[in-house]
Amino acid sequence: MNLNRRQVLWAGGTTGAAMLLAACGGGGESSAKSPAKGNEKPRPGGTLRVGALGRASAITRDPHGTQANESDYLIISLVHDTLTVPGTKPNTLPRLAARWQASDDLKTWRFTLAKGAKFHDGTPVTAADVVWSLKRLRATPSGASRLPGIKAENIKAEGDDTVVLVSDYANAELPLLTRLTTFVLKKDTKDADLGKAPGTGPFKLDWFRSGNARLVRNEDWYGGEVHLDAIEVKIFESPQAMANALLAGQIDVASNVGAVAARTAEARDDIQIVRRPNDMAMPMVMRTADGPFADAKVREALRLAVDREAMVKQVLSGYGTVANDILGTGDPAYAKDIPQRARDLVKAKQLLKDAGFDTSKTYRLLTTEDIAGLAESATLFASQVREAGVKVEVVKQESATFWDKTWLKGDLYTTYWGTNDSVVFFASKTMVSDSGQNEAGWKDTAFDATYRKAMGTKDAAARTTVLQELQRIEFDRSGYLLWGMADGIDLAGAAVRDLPTLPGYGRVQLEQAWLAR
Amino acid sequence: MAGTLTGGEPAAASGPRPVPAAVRTALYAAGVVARRLLLLAVLLAAVFAAVELLPGDAATATSERGETAADLAARRRLLGLDRPVAERFWDWMTGLPTGDLGTSARGEPVAGLLAHPFPNTLLLGGLALLVTLVVSVALGCWAAARPGGGIDRTVSASATGILALPEFVVAVALVLVFALWTDWLPAVTLTDADGSPASWRMLVLPVLALAVPQIGWNTRIVRAALADEAKAPHIETAVLDGLPRHRILTHHLLPGALPTVAAGIATSTGMLLGGAVVVETIFNYPGIGSVLAGAVTDRDSPVIAGVVAVTGAVITGVLLLADLVRAWASGGRT
Repeated sequence: MNLNRRQVLWAGGTTGAAMLLAACGGGGESSAKSPAKGNEKPRPGGTLRVGALGRASAITRDPHGTQANESDYLIISLVHDTLTVPGTKPNTLPRLAARWQASDDLKTWRFTLAKGAKFHDGTPVTAADVVWSLKRLRATPSGASRLPGIKAENIKAEGDDTVVLVSDYANAELPLLTRLTTFVLKKDTKDADLGKAPGTGPFKLDWFRSGNARLVRNEDWYGGEVHLDAIEVKIFESPQAMANALLAGQIDVASNVGAVAARTAEARDDIQIVRRPNDMAMPMVMRTADGPFADAKVREALRLAVDREAMVKQVLSGYGTVANDILGTGDPAYAKDIPQRARDLVKAKQLLKDAGFDTSKTYRLLTTEDIAGLAESATLFASQVREAGVKVEVVKQESATFWDKTWLKGDLYTTYWGTNDSVVFFASKTMVSDSGQNEAGWKDTAFDATYRKAMGTKDAAARTTVLQELQRIEFDRSGYLLWGMADGIDLAGAAVRDLPTLPGYGRVQLEQAWLAR
Repeated sequence: MAGTLTGGEPAAASGPRPVPAAVRTALYAAGVVARRLLLLAVLLAAVFAAVELLPGDAATATSERGETAADLAARRRLLGLDRPVAERFWDWMTGLPTGDLGTSARGEPVAGLLAHPFPNTLLLGGLALLVTLVVSVALGCWAAARPGGGIDRTVSASATGILALPEFVVAVALVLVFALWTDWLPAVTLTDADGSPASWRMLVLPVLALAVPQIGWNTRIVRAALADEAKAPHIETAVLDGLPRHRILTHHLLPGALPTVAAGIATSTGMLLGGAVVVETIFNYPGIGSVLAGAVTDRDSPVIAGVVAVTGAVITGVLLLADLVRAWASGGRT
C-alpha cells in the first residue's frame, strides 16, 4: 500500500510515539483562559465536540500506559484525576491532592486528599486507592522516569486521607512530578476492566468506541461546577482533516492542530485561534563531550549566527516567541533578566577563528519529520549559519532510526520537547552530568553543584535565586541552541468559551469550558 | 452395480469421461484457494521479516523518551520481542485459525482494534468498487456506441486524464469544493456510538475520491474490450442482420467483453484498498488504513500482519470471484 504519500500527509504535525508524557505541560505567563468576550457568565449545558490527534493502532485505555494518542490522554484525564495539575503561577495546582507538605530535608512529602472526592460509582477515594494506583504506575516500564527517585515501597498511606512519598534524594519539585501521570483508580482494578473503571474526574464515560468517546458531566465532582452537559472526543489521524472538520462545523474544538491550520483559519471571523505560549521547544543539540562542537566558543558562535526572529516567523508561521537558549521558558522562575542573545555574525566569525574551527568542512545536522516545522528549522538554520562561514548539510532521518542511532549520540541534531515544565525539569533530565537523557553529553561541575544546591533549598525565594545562577551557566555554555518556543494552537468555534491556554498537556483541562449558545 | 443399473454411466473415478462441471469448478476453486492461502502465508512471513529488518522495534517505538536500557529490556520481554522472529511468527500463525490475531504493542487485542475499522473499510471499498463498475461500464458503452465519435474521444481523453490523478489530489479537491466552499457535504467522517459513520452523507466524498481514478482506468478497459469484441465475426453478422444497436451491446458485445472487464475490476480491488489508506487519512474515515499506518510506525508486527491477513483474504476472494466469472463467461468458447 502507498505509505510514502501517507507519510507526507502525516508529517503535518503530531507528536511522535516516543513523546514523554511525564514531561508535558507546564506554566506560562499569560492568563489561563481563552479570550472570553467581556465578563460573560458561564452558561450551563451543551455538548462540546472536541477533535484530538491519535492513531487507531496506538489506542490504549490504560491510564498508566504509554499514551501516544492525544485523544486517549484527553479522555483519560477528563475521567480520571491526577494528584496535582498544571497551572500558571504557581505551575502546580491541587486536584485530587488538596495540599501537600514537605519534610525539612525535602525527601518526605505528605499529600492530603481532597474532601468529598468520590469515584463515579459513589465510593469515596481513600489513601489506599491512591497508594495502589501510584504503585501500579511505578511498576510500569516507564515507572522509574514517571516517579523519579521514589521506590514502590516508599509509597505509603497514612490514615484514610494522606499519602506519603519518600524520595531517595531531596526533591523540592516533587509535587510538579505528580501532575499528568498519577491517575487514580480504585484499588485492585483489574487490567481487563480498565476501559470502564470508574474515575474521580469532572466527566464520566458514557461510551468509548475505537478511539472516540462520549463523556457526560459528573454532577458530584468535588473540584467545582462543571458547565458542559457532555464532551464528545473525536479521534483524528491528521491535523489537516481535523482542521477541515472544524472549518466545516463538524467539531467545536480542534485540539493542538498546529500553525498551518491557524493560518488557514485567520481569514475566518467565526473561528477562534487559541494560542498557548511556551508549548514546544525545538532546540538544536550541539555535542559538548567531544567532536567539533566541544569548544564552548564554537557553540556560542552558532548561537550568535542564528537569526531567531526569522526562525519564529518562517518555521512557526509567527506562532511562537524568540527564546534565549534556556529551557523551561514557562517556569515562573525563568531568568528573564539575562539579556536576549541576538544575531552577531562578526562576533560569531571571530569566535570560530579563536576556537580554530575548521570552516572548510561540511557538518551534518540530523533531523526528523516527527513534528511540524522540525526539519524546516534545520534547513533554515543551515542557511543562516552559512553566513557565518559554517557549512551545514541537513540530513533527514526516519523517526525510529533517529531515536535509535542519533539521539544522545550525534554531534549536531534537532530535538523537541512537548513540555515546558520547569527549568529544573530540563536541568535534571537533560543537563546534569549523570542525567539519563543528557542530549549533548554535557558535564559541567559548576552546573551540577548549583543544581544540587537548588534542589536542597526549601525556601522558594532562595531557590529562585539559585535557579537564576543555574540558568546563567546554561545560557553561557550548555549544548543547547534554543532559538524559539512554538505556541500550542487550538482552533475553536465562535461559541466556545474558557478553553485552557496552558502549554503542553495543560490543554486537556476542559472542565471550565462552556458554550455561549 | 450402480454403473450397470443406471444405463451404462461409468463411475466418475473409473471412466475417462470428465467429472461434472460443478465438481470441476469446485475442485478448481479449492485449488486456487489453497494456492492463494499459501501465498498469503508467505506474505505474512515476509511482513514479520520486514518489520524485523526495520530500524528500531515495538519496544522502543512504544516506550517513553528516556526509559533506561533495563526498562526497555523489560518492555521487550513483556512484548515477547526477546524471542526469535520465527517463533513469534509461528505463535501468531497458529492463533490465526481460531481468529486470534495476537496483541498490539500497546496491549490491545488486534482483533478488537480491527473489529470496527475493517467493516468500515469494506463498506468504503465495496461502495467504491460498485460505483467504479457501474460508471465505467456505462461510460465505456457510451463511448463504444459510436467509435471515433465526439463522445468516444471526450470520454477516452478524460478517462486517461483522471486515471493519472492520485487519490489524494481528488480527495483534497472534493473536500475544498463540496465541503469547505459549498458546504453541501461533510468534510470528514465522524463515527457514532457503534463505531460506524454517523451519516451516509459522510460516505459520499471518500467513495468518490477512491472511485474516480479507478473509473478512469476501468472505463478505458471496458472501451478497449468492447472495441476488440466489435471486430469479432459474430458481431458483424449481428450488425448485418440489422439487430438493434442496444441489443447487440447487451446480448453480444458485453458478454464477450465480460472476462476482460472482470479482470480489470478485480485488479482495482487491490488499488482501492491501497488508496483507502490515503483517502481514509484525508477524510478521517475510521478504517484500517489508519490502523496500518500507525502500526508500521510502531513496528507492531501483529497489527500489521492482522491488517494484511484480512485485506489479503478479501483480495483473494475477489480475485477468485473474478476468475470464476471469467471461467463461466468464456467457458463455452475456449
